[in-house]
Amino acid sequence: MSEVRLTVEPRTEFGKGAARRTRRSGKIPAVLYGHGVDPRHLALPAIDFARVIRENGQNAVLTLNVSGAADKAEKSTELALTKTVTIHPLKNYIEHVDLLVVRRGEKVTVDVPIVLTGDAAPGTLVNQDVDTIQVEVDALKIPEQFEVSIEDAEAGAQVLAGQIALPAGAELVTDAEALVVAVNEAPTEAAMEAEVDTEGAGVVEDQPDAESQNGA
Amino acid sequence: MLIPRKVKHRKQHSPKRAGAAKGGTKVNFGEFGIQALEHSYVTNRQIESARIAMTRHIKRGGKIWINIFPDRPLTKKPAETRMGSGKGSPEWWVANVKPGRVMFEMSFPNETVAREALRRAIHKLPMKCRIVTREGGEF
Repeated sequence: MSEVRLTVEPRTEFGKGAARRTRRSGKIPAVLYGHGVDPRHLALPAIDFARVIRENGQNAVLTLNVSGAADKAEKSTELALTKTVTIHPLKNYIEHVDLLVVRRGEKVTVDVPIVLTGDAAPGTLVNQDVDTIQVEVDALKIPEQFEVSIEDAEAGAQVLAGQIALPAGAELVTDAEALVVAVNEAPTEAAMEAEVDTEGAGVVEDQPDAESQNGA
Repeated sequence: MLIPRKVKHRKQHSPKRAGAAKGGTKVNFGEFGIQALEHSYVTNRQIESARIAMTRHIKRGGKIWINIFPDRPLTKKPAETRMGSGKGSPEWWVANVKPGRVMFEMSFPNETVAREALRRAIHKLPMKCRIVTREGGEF
């Protein structure tokens, strides 16, 4: 994964009103923390950061250039890992970003997305149980995604977390026995119809509790 | 039809309509989903109708998840009745759906067929909805 440079500004006002003003001016409120230093509140350029996430995935490592740092003691350049990106569920814009300070050569634990490739055999249904697996890897060598091939997989085939090929130096944190993908036999029409009980069940009311009986 | 097996109280206050969904805003089980864009009460009949619309379109080879449950009763007083004399009798069972909630999810190998099935299901629901995917949209 390539390193990305981003010029960011420190934030001096906080709270939802200030955060909304930051967003209106085309920036994303963010916080930078880690390695025992005090958290720093930043404003990232929204368009540039969205491009970084699109191109490098959600585990992008950024070199932040803090412009106009209020305190001269604060470092003006920091290496940071994108820890959490909060996206608005309806409007699809980035609301907030958590950044984690990292050092060169340090190992970090990250969630790496799993992408399925290929088509399973006809008459099967692919169930992906987990979207990401957790790995411990060098901060500057985080893989963007893991590809799992299900080409011509027959019903009954399974891929466990331990079966995914990891790059050199990466260690699996997720349980190796965790199910990632299961290829099952596709359900028939009758099975799909019978899935939900269409019978109207009678509603049974519990006995009123003692409190309500006493008129409380 | 989906209905609670057992309830503590037969009649409840009407569910609150304010706010957005706190959770369940992403596709977790299938590949595609129907996301509510407005608040609404979704009755058990509407849920069943949407499920049937999807099932009948994809015919076989897919899987559908229903992420909402109609656990809130709504009451109604009989027609031509004067006000008073207590709360009406339970008439509907509804799920209190808030904007952002992914109500249905589907897994199906053919995306075009899956989207058409979801489109048909949306017509059975009482609010504006959109189709979302597991990968999420661009931002």
